[in-house]
Amino acid sequence: MKSNYYKVLFFAAFASILATCKPELTLPSVSKGSMDPSRYVAVGNSITSGYADGALYYKGQMVSYPNLLSAQFKLAGGGNFSQPLMPASSVGVGASGAAPFMLGYSTDCLGVTSLMPVPVAASGDVSAFSSSVFASQGPFNNMGVPGAKAITVLAPGYGNPAAGPGNYNPFFTRMASTPSTASILSDAVAINPTFFSLFIGNNDVLAYAMNGGASDAITPPTGAAGVGFDGSINAIVAALKANGAKGAIANIPDITALPYFTTIPWNGLTLRQGQADTLNNFMPNGTGGSLYNFQAGNNAFVIEDSTVPFIYKRQIKQGEFILLNTPLDQIKCHYLGSLTPIPNKNVLTLAEIAKIEAAISSYNSTIQSVAASNGLALVDVNGFMSRASKGIIYNGVAINTAFVTGGAFSLDGIHLNPIGNALLANEFIKSINTTFGSTFPQVDATKYRGVIFP
Amino acid sequence: MKQMKRIRTFSALTILSFPFLMQAQGFQVNLQGQAQQAMGGAGTALMQDGSAVFFNPGGMSFLNENSILAGATATIANATFLDADNNSSAKTVSPVSTPFAAYGVYGTKDGKLKNFKFGMGAYTPFGSIVTWEPGWTGRFALTSLKLLAIFYQPTVSYKICEKLGVGAGFVLANGNVELKEDINVIDANGNYGSADLKGAATGYGYNAGIYYKPCPKFSVGLTYRSQVNMKVSNGTATLTVPTSLATNIPSGPFSSSLSLPSVLTLGFSDSLTSKLILALDINYIGWKCYDTLAFDYKNNTPQFQDTKLPRDYKNTFAFRLGGQYQVTDKFIARAGLSVELTPIESGYVTPELPDANRLNFTLGAGYKINKHFVIDASYTYEHFSRTDNNTALQLNGTYKTYLSAPGLSLIYKF
Repeated sequence: MKSNYYKVLFFAAFASILATCKPELTLPSVSKGSMDPSRYVAVGNSITSGYADGALYYKGQMVSYPNLLSAQFKLAGGGNFSQPLMPASSVGVGASGAAPFMLGYSTDCLGVTSLMPVPVAASGDVSAFSSSVFASQGPFNNMGVPGAKAITVLAPGYGNPAAGPGNYNPFFTRMASTPSTASILSDAVAINPTFFSLFIGNNDVLAYAMNGGASDAITPPTGAAGVGFDGSINAIVAALKANGAKGAIANIPDITALPYFTTIPWNGLTLRQGQADTLNNFMPNGTGGSLYNFQAGNNAFVIEDSTVPFIYKRQIKQGEFILLNTPLDQIKCHYLGSLTPIPNKNVLTLAEIAKIEAAISSYNSTIQSVAASNGLALVDVNGFMSRASKGIIYNGVAINTAFVTGGAFSLDGIHLNPIGNALLANEFIKSINTTFGSTFPQVDATKYRGVIFP
Repeated sequence: MKQMKRIRTFSALTILSFPFLMQAQGFQVNLQGQAQQAMGGAGTALMQDGSAVFFNPGGMSFLNENSILAGATATIANATFLDADNNSSAKTVSPVSTPFAAYGVYGTKDGKLKNFKFGMGAYTPFGSIVTWEPGWTGRFALTSLKLLAIFYQPTVSYKICEKLGVGAGFVLANGNVELKEDINVIDANGNYGSADLKGAATGYGYNAGIYYKPCPKFSVGLTYRSQVNMKVSNGTATLTVPTSLATNIPSGPFSSSLSLPSVLTLGFSDSLTSKLILALDINYIGWKCYDTLAFDYKNNTPQFQDTKLPRDYKNTFAFRLGGQYQVTDKFIARAGLSVELTPIESGYVTPELPDANRLNFTLGAGYKINKHFVIDASYTYEHFSRTDNNTALQLNGTYKTYLSAPGLSLIYKF
């Protein structure tokens, strides 16, 4: 009899012990493998700097992919990672002095209010360009400079204001050790890196592409350091690894993955029958009579094209791009894209796209062979962006490259959002782990946001 | 000798079951009777008490007394997840659930209906409660799930002869489901969106069984509990998103359905001595019915479409072996074990149910207070872990679960 009660008591006690017992899973140990992350330097452009939403600002810099990488490196020997941070209180500043975008309500010329990227302030914090942060925060591990090209990474005095407006890079001026003489590369090498990442070459085509091929030039794939892409990349890598540093090099994504080029549909000219008839009457249709054909419904926009004899305009073709900087109000209310052609600077034609793609393809071959011959981890950003443009899923979060709704890109359509940066950092980590036998964990990308909605 | 041979049969069956361990139990809850729970869940061929309504309606007519039984089991489950890609880990903070079972069995000793017994049961054969800690890496797949199905089963059992009984019950199923997850849209204050899908479900089915007792010491049971399709016809989807998206991602009604699987059970019971009885149940569970978890929202928009989540469960087995020993006239000790093979295939493990093949150990006791009252207690302990990369979610990691289930029931005989 008594023993029965003991048994019941025993059960109860046993049960209450197990009830409080939670399962534990042991974290795998993190190893740096054959690389040494103690002094990590990131060389690159705006993507490396953390530029987003059309501007360099504190919160964007905090989620730059090199900063995220450095946090993972700290799990196995990584050192301090210094960035040329904008003040946290600053609104931030874009390349043309503008403030960053946010998603807000905007009323167009037709009186329709909708969600659009709008500047967070009337002007950006241009004072940042003239206040050096080198003395207070430098030297810098993050040598990502907005606007930098492969050919300008080696340029001495790249941040020298004495060169005059347009001939120097004010983003580098604020962070350079000696703006009059330093190059991005010389300041990076001064860190004496044990490990580096190099993600450069986007602007060697983008500066051309983002201007619709109307200005700037594509960097020649071959040529001497400071002139051609391959010579520059080889010189940069040679300098960075001069003291035995190992590194990772990323290739260049195709522009078709960037919402800046793919958001405005080529056939977005929506007409009623009456409007189509009017346009067909008004537009001189060339000798062959086949230049234009407007119908009710969706129509190809009319664009400038200097190669069309006499009239210098035509309807855009499928596969050609109308850029995100095209003034939409002009399209909606002032016949831009119909009676008035969309200017060359807002359009990439098939011929221009072919030039860009040929250059990217050639750059990526160079990057691949430089990676192989220097034992660098090759980060296939091109492949990653290509997958992202079809849609990727990370721990239940669906991401794609569509403007605003896709989540990966920030509101400038070129630079990544925090979650996009986290996923990019993970591409670096995967390649570094594979190449150097390290076991750095990936960044938990779910901790990083997409587009902020009002 | 004959008995020895049977023991060998038992162990051979048990061993044969292990090669299937690579396969595996889903949100089935095997907590319908304390005596059976204490014996690894076996009871299709061993008529313990009023829980025969559930375990074998065919054997219910063999119960000697009329009785009422009520019991409950506190289920304490704790799980931990470790993400294989980013090393983040998360624990569940699930509340304790208390599946219950209640039965009444009545028949007359004489008269036209002396070979009949009538029973009523209410029990919870399926359920799952899981709540993951806030901010965990899988929160866009699931933050919490509450799923509960209660079956009400009026039952008739007929003793054809002293060796054979048949019985069947109609099942009216009533359920509730509530699923919550975060949505990957964020407002200016850093709040993510969230979805809360809540609904009541109903369904119908049956539970039929045959009980055969060729000799006083040995019996066989065969039961079939049908698949029950639970339909949520008027659920409420509450979607909390930034104001500017409220018309794109609207709240509103939804419908859904969830198929609860059929269970075919073959059971054996053998009195090795006057005091020791062994029982074995083999379940074949028709989980293949759970291929998709679909939500049909009334207010669709281009950004907010119906969802169809692949589950692709497969049919599976469970093996339950238990023994009970009459220590004294008043006191019975019980022990058992069960092997439950998971219905979830690789690539389909979700945080709503990180199931794996399970090996459970059980203990229990029964105490006869007087000729009217019996008290039974049981204790079940399970631990299992599963590493999987969910294809649809791209959620890759290891789940480890501890489950502890102490239970108690009271029987009144008359």
